[in-house]
Amino acid sequence: MSFLETLFGKRTRSSDIARDRLLTVLVHDRVKLTPDMLDQLKIELSAVIARYVPAVDAGAIEVTLLRGESSDHLKADIPLRRTPHNL
Amino acid sequence: MSRVITISSGKGGVGKTTSTANLGTALAMQGMKVAVVDADIGLRNLDVVLGLENRIVYDLVDVVEGRCRLRQALIRDKHFPDLCLLPAAQTRDKDAVTSDDMIALTNQLRAEFDYVLIDSPAGIEAGFRNAIAGADEVLIVTTPEVAAVRDADRIIGLVEAFDKGHPRLILNRLKPRMVSRGEMMSIEDVLQILAIELIGVVPDDELIVTSTNRGEVAVLDRGSRAGRAFNDIARRLAGEDVPLTVFDDSPGLMSRIFGAFGFRARGSER
Repeated sequence: MSFLETLFGKRTRSSDIARDRLLTVLVHDRVKLTPDMLDQLKIELSAVIARYVPAVDAGAIEVTLLRGESSDHLKADIPLRRTPHNL
Repeated sequence: MSRVITISSGKGGVGKTTSTANLGTALAMQGMKVAVVDADIGLRNLDVVLGLENRIVYDLVDVVEGRCRLRQALIRDKHFPDLCLLPAAQTRDKDAVTSDDMIALTNQLRAEFDYVLIDSPAGIEAGFRNAIAGADEVLIVTTPEVAAVRDADRIIGLVEAFDKGHPRLILNRLKPRMVSRGEMMSIEDVLQILAIELIGVVPDDELIVTSTNRGEVAVLDRGSRAGRAFNDIARRLAGEDVPLTVFDDSPGLMSRIFGAFGFRARGSER
């Protein structure tokens, strides 16, 4: 990747891609969640959250698994769309 | 108190055997009595890395099956008389030994040596379980690649399930320049994912290839950055507090400026 591409963020760094792919396979390896189940989890999660908070986008939810000292952590990052109502 | 340490990885080809040979030699250089054991039955390698392949008479399976005494199978290192190799059998397979055999064998070795380093086979099957059966602690070797880290994660889970405590990590073949360009996962990336204690980082080093060609180990080569890293890991194993060196292989400012525009300054490749 060239300096200019990095500067203007045209391409994602391949180390970030490696990290994201690794986190996805480890969710599967550690807690037996397949990518399909993970997608379903995100859809259901967004449906629940949408009952309380509007403007949830299921496709934008990121679920990752982090290994802790004594337990693993399932972490969901749930971005909310900015709508005229909450601006 | 002697210590039995197994070097494992899950994935093959990440540097288990090289790590075992270098750590064994480095500990012997510290004046320790060390046995390195090749537990990869059927795929013998450690003898070649140490340059001892011509001296093998008996092997691990011969000891286990009672065809010779342990002392007859141990091969003395070329440089350090306190370093001995117990080679794997080449013509048998992993079913030739059991976990109980390995525990009995490591106990015999404990009586003679300060350190017993066991080179584990790749994989998660019987060979790996045999290799950790007699171990007090486990070192995991990985490289900063998706497949290697994934397999390391699996092995960490198994090591903990077998009650071998928390393994420590050797991050091998790191290319600092690629990391700084965002083209390789960093030390922090790997540690965050695996969440285990780091015992050392070994930079990618072409001298490993040339020393292995000759049947010598990198720790004997003062010019080898990987060799220095293995020496540091051996000192940490022995309990010394050795700060983690940041391997500066980054090119100078001028070559960095040229490098940014697709040029490479002469002499930047060291």
